[in-house]
Amino acid sequence: MIWVWVVGIVLLVVAGFAAAYLPRARARALRQRTAWSAARAAIASAAISRDAVPDDVPEAGDLFARAELLVANGGGVAAAEEAADCAERADRLWREAR
Amino acid sequence: MTRVVAQLHRLRWAFLATAVVLLVVFLLAQRQTVDVSYAQSPSGEDSVTEGSAGELTDTDLPSVAEMTAMLDEDPVVRLPGSIADWDEQLVTEAIGDADIRVLVTPPGLTEKQQDQLREVENATILVVGTEITGTMYGVSADDVAGWRAQFATGDVTSLLLTLVASEKDEDSPPDIDLFRWRAPTAAELAPVVADLRADRLHVADGATLESMPDRAATAFPDQEPLFAVFPQQPFGLPVPEYGAALAEEFPDTPIVVMYGNWAEYHGPDAESFSDVVAAGVYSRFGDRIAGYAYPQANVLGVYLDQVTDVRYAGLFDRPLPYQPFDPLRVALPVLPWLFALCVLVFLGLSVRSVLGPGGGPPRRAPARLAGLTTLAIEMSGLSRDPALVRALSKLEAVRRALAEDLSQRLVRRLLDEAESELDTAARELGRADYRPANYLAGGIA
Repeated sequence: MIWVWVVGIVLLVVAGFAAAYLPRARARALRQRTAWSAARAAIASAAISRDAVPDDVPEAGDLFARAELLVANGGGVAAAEEAADCAERADRLWREAR
Repeated sequence: MTRVVAQLHRLRWAFLATAVVLLVVFLLAQRQTVDVSYAQSPSGEDSVTEGSAGELTDTDLPSVAEMTAMLDEDPVVRLPGSIADWDEQLVTEAIGDADIRVLVTPPGLTEKQQDQLREVENATILVVGTEITGTMYGVSADDVAGWRAQFATGDVTSLLLTLVASEKDEDSPPDIDLFRWRAPTAAELAPVVADLRADRLHVADGATLESMPDRAATAFPDQEPLFAVFPQQPFGLPVPEYGAALAEEFPDTPIVVMYGNWAEYHGPDAESFSDVVAAGVYSRFGDRIAGYAYPQANVLGVYLDQVTDVRYAGLFDRPLPYQPFDPLRVALPVLPWLFALCVLVFLGLSVRSVLGPGGGPPRRAPARLAGLTTLAIEMSGLSRDPALVRALSKLEAVRRALAEDLSQRLVRRLLDEAESELDTAARELGRADYRPANYLAGGIA
């Protein structure tokens, strides 16, 4: 009869892991999509600022290229945050240049 | 700030795990004992157990009717094999003309045979071996002299007198000690001494011990003891006092002398623990030893175990031996509090996540989006400011985020940014009424 206990315990442990893991996985996916969405929004905003500036701002251009590269490569939350950060800095530089 | 909060949030699982570990440790550690002992006494477990120890004699009792008839005829019936004796004159005087009948049987009866004895209704007093029961009460000896008389010579005079008084509703008489010592003769002593010198063990004719008891080494770890074992001594005659004589012959050697079921110790420190050991053994096991015919080896084993236990029990104000510091014993009382603390911290940190997602009206973001979009469209005919274009791009991002059900925080941030861009554009335009704070002050119609 020991196997009843073993199976029961294994089931309980698996159920416990599943109950803890699934919502976390879902939340992680949501965080990731959110981060990329924020990054894309920041890049779009920066692109508009770039188009509004007549002169060339090389530093901002580099940052912007980097952000676009990151978006193209994809990745996790950290990559998305980095991309958003680069895009925001580029945006700020272009706005100041105007 | 939000980083710290998120860290704390993750930390609550660590607190929960700690709480579970504490609980498990606490439950597993609940194996406390109440032993007060010098380390763990290596004596055996309780040696007196039913049946298996050879304490039953294969006695055939007469039938209940026969025994009743025998008692009707004679007030004292002594079945063959009985070992109890008493001073008949004293007991007869005590009984007087009361109708008290005594049935004496051999020791070591089975449960069934004891039930049979209880069915003999005219037996006032039952003497099984040397165990004595009346109609209501039983009596047993309660001091060393009483046990010695009962187990060394089968003398139950004092017990019988007490029980007779009880049956007659009288006060208990004082104990009578009919036990007498005498010095053993040289002829008696010589073979004992010779045996002890040869192999440290003397078993007299009629004694049931077969070999050196194996628990002697734990009871007397410092010196090998001597054992002199004799059968139960005849009642009414002085008993040869081998103990004292042997102690003279073998100074500074532990000597255990046994008469019948009575074991006594002579030798070093006899005065400090022989009474303690005797009281320990015979007060606990006296009734069983009296009613059953245990082999002497068993009684001696119990006696030696008691010697061992006394040796390890720390009864004599000796300094306690070094006991290593046990952190578990110290930490144990704290564990429940730590557990409670961990649970509280976990709950405290969880409150935010339980109440958090429910907060915030869900319609706010779409409403703001609608308002800001209206404003942006209205301004788009007047302004060519990049801030307006950025605001439109951000509003588009908000729409996508709402459609994809992304986090409310992002939506709110994008809306804030769009609002500030629109504000910038309105100020560039010089139209304060287009600033979002003014434009949206009344809400969307």
